[in-house]
Amino acid sequence: MNILSLITFLPLAGALLVLALPKEKERTVQIVSLVFSGLSLVLSGALFFLFNRQTADMQFVERLPWIPSIGVQYFMGVDGLSYPLILLTTLLTFVSLIASLNIKNRIKEYFFWFLILEVGMLGVFASLDLVLFYVFWEITLVPMYFLIGIWGGPKKEYAAIKFFLYTLTGSVFMLLGILAVYFKSSPHTFDLLILLQPHANWERNFQILIFLAFYLGFAVKIPAFPFHTWLPLAHVEAPTAVSVVLAAVLLKMGVYGIMRVSYGMLPLGFHWFLPFLVVIAVINIIYGALCAMAQDDMKKMVAYSSINHMGYCLLGIAGLTATGFSGAVLEMVNHGLITGALFLLVGVIYDRAHTRDIKAFGGLAAKLPVYAGLMSLACFASLGLPGLAGFWGELLCFVGAFPRWKVYTGVSVIGLLVTTAFFLRMLEKVFLGPFNEKWKDLADVDARELCALLPLVVLTIYLGIYPKPALDLINATVGHMAGLFK
Amino acid sequence: MQNLGLLAPEIALSLLGLGLMLADLLIPGKSSKLLYHFAWFAAAAALALIARGLSVSGGLPLPVVGGLWVVDPMSQFFKLAVLLSVIMTVMLCLEYGQLPPAQAGTFCALLIFSAVGMMLLVSATDLLLVFVALELISVSSFVLAGFERRNHKSNEGAIKYFLFGAFSSAIMIYGISLYYGAMGTTRLIDPQSAGLWLPALQAKGPAFTLAMLFILLGFGFKAAMAPMHFWVPDAYEGAPLPVTAFLSVAPKIATIGVLARVYMVLVPAAGLGFTTLLALLAMLTMTVGNTVAIFQDNVKRLLAYSSIAQAGYILIGIVAANALGLEGVLIYSLVYVAMNLGAFAVVQAVGDDGARGGMGSYELAAFDGLSRRSLALALLMTVFLLSLAGLPPLAGFIGKFYLFAAALSAGRSASGGVSPAVFYGLAVVGVLNSVVSVYYYMKIAYHMFFLPAHSGKGERLPSKDGGPSPAAAPVLHAGPYLYGCLAVAAAAVLYFGIYPDPLIANVKLSVPNLP
Repeated sequence: MNILSLITFLPLAGALLVLALPKEKERTVQIVSLVFSGLSLVLSGALFFLFNRQTADMQFVERLPWIPSIGVQYFMGVDGLSYPLILLTTLLTFVSLIASLNIKNRIKEYFFWFLILEVGMLGVFASLDLVLFYVFWEITLVPMYFLIGIWGGPKKEYAAIKFFLYTLTGSVFMLLGILAVYFKSSPHTFDLLILLQPHANWERNFQILIFLAFYLGFAVKIPAFPFHTWLPLAHVEAPTAVSVVLAAVLLKMGVYGIMRVSYGMLPLGFHWFLPFLVVIAVINIIYGALCAMAQDDMKKMVAYSSINHMGYCLLGIAGLTATGFSGAVLEMVNHGLITGALFLLVGVIYDRAHTRDIKAFGGLAAKLPVYAGLMSLACFASLGLPGLAGFWGELLCFVGAFPRWKVYTGVSVIGLLVTTAFFLRMLEKVFLGPFNEKWKDLADVDARELCALLPLVVLTIYLGIYPKPALDLINATVGHMAGLFK
Repeated sequence: MQNLGLLAPEIALSLLGLGLMLADLLIPGKSSKLLYHFAWFAAAAALALIARGLSVSGGLPLPVVGGLWVVDPMSQFFKLAVLLSVIMTVMLCLEYGQLPPAQAGTFCALLIFSAVGMMLLVSATDLLLVFVALELISVSSFVLAGFERRNHKSNEGAIKYFLFGAFSSAIMIYGISLYYGAMGTTRLIDPQSAGLWLPALQAKGPAFTLAMLFILLGFGFKAAMAPMHFWVPDAYEGAPLPVTAFLSVAPKIATIGVLARVYMVLVPAAGLGFTTLLALLAMLTMTVGNTVAIFQDNVKRLLAYSSIAQAGYILIGIVAANALGLEGVLIYSLVYVAMNLGAFAVVQAVGDDGARGGMGSYELAAFDGLSRRSLALALLMTVFLLSLAGLPPLAGFIGKFYLFAAALSAGRSASGGVSPAVFYGLAVVGVLNSVVSVYYYMKIAYHMFFLPAHSGKGERLPSKDGGPSPAAAPVLHAGPYLYGCLAVAAAAVLYFGIYPDPLIANVKLSVPNLP
């Protein structure tokens, strides 16, 4: 069995095993989940050393007939665009599972759905056949629905169904797009690599229409303005670990889809949409940041900051340069690490204080030094302080977009300022100022939380000081992509 | 007489049905379960005969029996699906507590006879045979729907079903008489050459078109297309649950089968100018079924409306009228049998529980906390519902994928008077309806997974009064036959969802060989 299939389906094996265990054996369920997700992480980590950084071709390819009657293949492979995201997925899922060890009720179901979710996410990044891609894309919906709906906050049911219906509405149009592309190609195929060959013979109007169909599916997931309204709700209601995965991985599926599918397959449609895309990117950046500024709920603030950060990715893509593309990919990875950490940290304080209201705290830095340090680090990384990971992604996005979109890039810088402002405001209100005596019994970060946080924090610092290992993975592929439609 | 052998499955099943009625007289009431076993055995025997016939012919076209009817892979495919649903229904009946044991033989015989009707229907190429087959199905079904004599809803549903059925039969027979007037025969194929007489159909004028319209309406009633669906919710809600399950799949796919044969192959709807009409019917059926289902809080009614919507999806394939469409119709029909019967099996497990003094009913509230009473049942129900909604990697997705593909493909090659927008619009309405359907399917999941279990009849006991806490919710057990039925359905839904190639390849083989 190919290593990519193994990475993707190990969590499924874990999920089935969990399902077979009696629900009283909670410790076993947790161990099994961690082991299978951990194996997946180890294998995807091993790819780091096997990955050929010099080529833009697909690697570790596995190709089997799946439904030969209609030309659907089981076709997996990774390149510099998808591999970093796979690594991100396995790492963040493992971290989230550690963070989930404090889930108290219905443990078996929780870990079952979480592992199924991991299968879907990994499959999306690894699949190179449009039908397979769609199947994995949809697989992520159901576990997410249950994870938010059962273990979430007060409005969890509403958040869960809103998430489900929103994303599904987008993706059914993607399905029509996939079918239309199939009938357009000759010979009919769902093979993404063949479809990504330049084919100027698809007329422009067709490409525009199909681009929009795909874009609807991706934009909801990103979420790009104006399809973002499900996100703050889902984030606020979801349990901590689910928020982590939602922000760190699921949002990336949308950006990945645009870069992988829309850009290469529908160049004319993509170019037609480019002016709109850059405007949407700027709106995401500024509007997301301003919304975050207005929040008193820390989780909601981080959720809106995700909308803002996805705007940077879109801006980088809209630049159509290798720099912009690598910025977008790097920003996806960095945002995954940093926002994952931020959601974990918000979860830490919420578990103890049962509130996330910024104004309810004050002077916590003296009481919770480790927590304050980690939170400050994550915030600074998120607002793009040089020396931490967030900086490089944002810088490359801006540099990549600037030659083509000077004004828009300039305007976007406002977003950076607002981001800085709301993170500093939050840090000030929560950690500085007079100590609120109500919280004198708060305990600092415990071992479980530290275990979950440390990998993210260490990587954030490491990639901030030395981003080359990440960029090396990405460079060959984005260089190839940027050269496609000169 | 030499091709009488082709009728062997139908003859055998009819004889076994008669045998059931005889056996009813001989077997005492307390061993009435034997009759159910006899019934599923009969259906399985017919199934085996058809399968054997198919393997002998190797998928080649089989001869026509005197122009009245035809035995081809498509008809055999629908017969297999019908018999499969009969077997699964009987399995459900074995576990169902509300059927009077004294009439088990009658019940089984009626079930078998209606199955014979469906088998004749999907093979028919003569309108009179179509009519007789439909009546055989309907009359048996009326009685089956009213089988719970002491249940007022059952009586009401049966009466409504009967009245609507009689009405639709009248429309249909009127259409057939017009057809006879226009064509001088009730045959749908040329009796001389036993082939299509398409050229002759072109010049037949308004009477002929009107005839085909009335016949279409007649089918519409039987397949519960909107706006001819009003009998469905009451009949389905009142009927004994296994009967509801049966009615929601078998007669529906049999009617779809004959509809596909008549309006896609023998008298193509495009030639009659019916494409847009059919497309509108399909859109309306999907939309009405799905929209009204949102507001139901009785699961039987909810699934009744859902089954209306499902017929709407299948109609997409008939509107598309291409090879992909026909394949889609076949695939979706078989898949629909598995997923809908599976869903009804879980409903029975929950609902019939109340009959034994537990806490069941067919209200949505009876599903509260099912995941904690039986995680397996709740997960299986989720699988069936998601498959009905068309989410991958479940079989329902493959079916919908095919149907939408057929619509887009038809749009690309649209010619004549029909604008491609009709097909594209149909596909868009179809996918949007899938989204709507997720809302109410997930409403059941919401009750199963999100809410705590409670003491039944819709009243949630306050927990401080010592009401059952979620952990103390009584475990729900179902009988072995019900689990067997569930296992078959789940295996089909998962297998055809994950590895649909065998199904698709077989359907592809059978489609080009139509008369």
